[in-house]
Amino acid sequence: MNIFSLALIVLVGILCFVLFFHLSNLILDYYGRVNKKGYAFENSIRVIIFIAPAFIVLFVFIIYPVFETIRLSFYDKIGRDFVGWHNYIWAIKDPDFRRSIVNNLGWLLIVPTLSTFFGLVIANLADRIWWGTIAKSIIFMPMAISFVGAGVIWKFIYDYRGPGDDQIGLLNAITTSLGFEPQAWLTIPIWNNLFLMAIMIWIQTGLALVIFSAALRSIPSETLDAARIDGASELKIFWSIIIPYLQQTILVIWTIITILVLKVFDIIYAMTNGQWQTEVLANLMYDWMFRGGGDSGRGSVLAFCIMIGVIPILVWNLYQHKKDQQS
Amino acid sequence: MTKKLTFTSILAQILLLLFVVAWIAPTFGLFISSLRDKDVLAISGWWTSFITTEVNEIYRTKGMEAQFEKDGYFYIEDNLFGNKKPKEISSFGITSKNINEYKIGDTALFKDESEITLKNDGNYSWKSKEKFKKKKGKRIFITASSPPSFTFENYKEVLFKEGLGQAFINTFAVAIPSTLIPLIICSFFAYSLTWMNFFGRDLLLATVIASLVVPLQMSLIPILSLYNDFGALFGVAAKSYPGIWMAHTGFGLASTTFLLWNFLKSLPNEMMEAARVDGATHYDTFIKIVVPLSIPAFASIFILQFLWVWNDLLVGLVFLDKNPSEIILTAKLKELLGSRGENWEILTTGAFISMSVPLLIFFSLQRYFIRGLVAGSVKG
Amino acid sequence: MKLLNTIVGILTLSLFTSNFANAGSHAYTYSGPDISGEKITILGPWLAPEDESFRDVISIFENATGAVVEYGGSDEFEQIINIDCQAGSPPDIAVFPQPGLAANIAATGCLTSLTPDVKDLVSKNYASADSWINLSTYDDPYGASTFYGVFYRVNVKSLVWYSPDNFEDNGYEVPTTMEGLLALTDQMVADGNTPWCIGLGSGGATGWPATDWMEDIMLRTHLPGAYDAWVSNDMKFNDPRVIEAMDFFGSIALNDSYVNGGSKAVATTDFRDSPNGLFTSPAECMMHRQASFIPAFFPEGLEAGVDYDFFYFPAYADKDLGKPVLGGGTVLTATNDKGATNEFMKFLLHPEAHERFMEKGGFLTPHKFVDTSKYASDTFRGLHEILQNATTFRFDGSDLMPGWVGAGSFWTGMVDYTNGKSAKEVADAIQASWEAGQ
Repeated sequence: MNIFSLALIVLVGILCFVLFFHLSNLILDYYGRVNKKGYAFENSIRVIIFIAPAFIVLFVFIIYPVFETIRLSFYDKIGRDFVGWHNYIWAIKDPDFRRSIVNNLGWLLIVPTLSTFFGLVIANLADRIWWGTIAKSIIFMPMAISFVGAGVIWKFIYDYRGPGDDQIGLLNAITTSLGFEPQAWLTIPIWNNLFLMAIMIWIQTGLALVIFSAALRSIPSETLDAARIDGASELKIFWSIIIPYLQQTILVIWTIITILVLKVFDIIYAMTNGQWQTEVLANLMYDWMFRGGGDSGRGSVLAFCIMIGVIPILVWNLYQHKKDQQS
Repeated sequence: MTKKLTFTSILAQILLLLFVVAWIAPTFGLFISSLRDKDVLAISGWWTSFITTEVNEIYRTKGMEAQFEKDGYFYIEDNLFGNKKPKEISSFGITSKNINEYKIGDTALFKDESEITLKNDGNYSWKSKEKFKKKKGKRIFITASSPPSFTFENYKEVLFKEGLGQAFINTFAVAIPSTLIPLIICSFFAYSLTWMNFFGRDLLLATVIASLVVPLQMSLIPILSLYNDFGALFGVAAKSYPGIWMAHTGFGLASTTFLLWNFLKSLPNEMMEAARVDGATHYDTFIKIVVPLSIPAFASIFILQFLWVWNDLLVGLVFLDKNPSEIILTAKLKELLGSRGENWEILTTGAFISMSVPLLIFFSLQRYFIRGLVAGSVKG
Repeated sequence: MKLLNTIVGILTLSLFTSNFANAGSHAYTYSGPDISGEKITILGPWLAPEDESFRDVISIFENATGAVVEYGGSDEFEQIINIDCQAGSPPDIAVFPQPGLAANIAATGCLTSLTPDVKDLVSKNYASADSWINLSTYDDPYGASTFYGVFYRVNVKSLVWYSPDNFEDNGYEVPTTMEGLLALTDQMVADGNTPWCIGLGSGGATGWPATDWMEDIMLRTHLPGAYDAWVSNDMKFNDPRVIEAMDFFGSIALNDSYVNGGSKAVATTDFRDSPNGLFTSPAECMMHRQASFIPAFFPEGLEAGVDYDFFYFPAYADKDLGKPVLGGGTVLTATNDKGATNEFMKFLLHPEAHERFMEKGGFLTPHKFVDTSKYASDTFRGLHEILQNATTFRFDGSDLMPGWVGAGSFWTGMVDYTNGKSAKEVADAIQASWEAGQ
């Protein structure tokens, strides 16, 4: 399709939605005026207009698939025969499943913590330094890169050639120049998970950094100046004033990154495809759903596990929201 | 804050510098690699491209068809490099077992008693008492120095390669509506969740927050089946642009609504009350008051969603066809990654090209981004 | 008078039958019915540069019939075809790189059986047609044996690639027996050379080259019947004979002095990068065992027969198992019975569809009536002969196994094996996965 027909389709598509809202509200106004219905009636219709598209989308794209997935998890591989708990029992016994859970836990413990920590430290450092804005932009840049692109970039870091051959991976170049043997980093069990996590931390720290940066602005400067005049060291100020003040923000960022990490798929897919014991739930689910004819029963069990893994976070969020509302 | 040049501030600067270097090194490596000659990309590290290095290469002489007779001897003379880039040769060899046996100017002796001399610019002269009988030339192994050289050849090759330009356009055709449509729909939705009262509002809000965590892989097959049924019913294709716009809208709905809601609830109540008293409907309030105030939020969400859609691979793979008229940039790049295992120059350049748009957008709109993103999640 | 009538009768009859005989062959150029405006979508695993060659072939069909054919390739073919079939939107024609996967998909009901005239064309035009027909006959969702596919673009796998110049420089002779090959390997090490380049990397398919090694080894150490039993799981995967074959592979791949880069590089080197070691200065390896499609990935500018050549991966002299040949191929299937789809399948059996690809290189065919002068080089002509005359010919085993094994646990198992797991552990795991997937 050439560029003009594409542009036309794009324009028409967007216009559809703009016109829907505009016209329906216009009609409602007109109708209300002409028939002199009460404000309440108008209001309820207007609510429907406002939320209808989003509600439909929400239902079709999120709610329906969730229930469909739960349903499929009780059926066989092509969704035809009911098998009860069979798939769940399989999952509990499957060593790949158990390893994925362990790996996911590792990811959930390490990546949000380190990303948040680095984000906080760098935000503080960049705040006081005149070239801080440039530094922030550089550290945020990986967020703009697709995971596939990140895969290519880190290929040049982790690449392995035999001992004695020229290394083209940065890590092995450093290793060999220090006199050690080059390693096939992504194939070393346990450690390879950490190397993959490094990629995610590289990407997510920027997010934490940006939010912390803005949050730091909100700390009243009088408090900080007073502490400095009192002779407190920068480190002490960091620990005793800044961190407590930012508690709320720290938790929010930690939550956001945790949710992102729980769904992590692309990095592992592009770098190791789950080989060498790096698989996580999302990859395992993808494998079962889309390989060798597909097994929607088992794939659905795994998808379900990813979801319930987030329920604690969800509950905590709602609790915070309630607290917010009350205060 | 006072800017004293204390020990701690120097330490802080060094620490920050270390972070910055660590963060930019990987991308920098990719950038340099994309500018290197394709022959050396997979052979030496990108950091060596700044210094002159030694390379070992193999070339083949011409065979019997190029020979001519002179003074009773038979000669084959030509330049080893042909139409490839010439290099400065330091030593050469005639067998794989000893690749730098001879220095420039030496005469090398073959097993059949013919001789060859080589000049450092690649010109060789191969002399034999008897007529050359083999069509196949002989291999010459050279060790040469390769000075730092960078080239835009890779970019030219990739940009004009069939399919990448089209993939670029396709991705825009996907990304722009997939960003604007959620923005339109969700801004009304978020407004109603914040400023309208209706039955079930809290439940709806809780559902939206809950949907933040649904992994999109779950939704792929149910939705595609739905599309297929829909398509069969109405006689349209299941995989189409409008289809993928709605899919992205669906997947981005929760986060877009959440962020907008977060922002909208920080707007002052009094403003809404005043408008209500003046007799404005919700729609008027929305268009005339809320939208202008929300530009930073819109901008930041636009950036976030655009980045996400531009960088997406899975949704594009599932909801669009792989043929050239519909394939998106990330899928094209993944194809190159998968099929050009040995054409690293295409990989690196392709990755950089696909990064260019998100980076451009990010750098030009970053102030909106930061402002919009943090409003609401930060106290004060 | 009676004699004259008889003679006329016989002449007429022979004219008639000779016309019928010619019906098996063809007019030189393809000409098809006019189906302008029809659109066909094809999904396959071929990416650049092979996809362009295929698009060239397609253009013959498009020009002759007026139809529009769109080919899209993906190295995630298995995943995409699964998704598309499950969601109800498969391409009109699917190009399967593994018959085992095609069988799995056929059992879900996504494929449509091919018409008898297509089957007829195959049996008339392909060498060893019965084998090829068997390989594309699978059970439908109700268990009935049905003919689903046409093989197009096949390859020979029992080959070792080498540089004749390097062999000459070192005084090596091409071995004709397995014993000779093993002795040559040791000789190379003694001379300070590295014998083998092995690379298993292939994105989501990492590990498959090792399965080819194992299949070639199985064919050379046991009777063909044992191979067939192994592929159908009548012989369990953790049978001692299979483990023995795995260890044979390990005796080469896990020996740091036998492999370029050492055993650790085996699983991390991409299969397309690893043959480069044959052509470096100094040479990083002397031999590379790989299928006939690998020259497409050799460095640019190399000439077949001049810079590289192949020899048959030899069999044991003292085992009396003949000279088995392992091969593979892609099978094209239809997902609907549209007239246009059927026309395209018939087009595939026309020699022109094969000859156009042959000219581009990287293409072999069992078609009996192609003009072999169209092959890109003598190398391919030689391979063509092998294919036409093979006595013990076996199809790639992992491609015949069920998809979750042959395109799943077998691949990942071999990667684990090169990473240090024992052959028994790996074989047990693969067997377990075979049973679990039933």
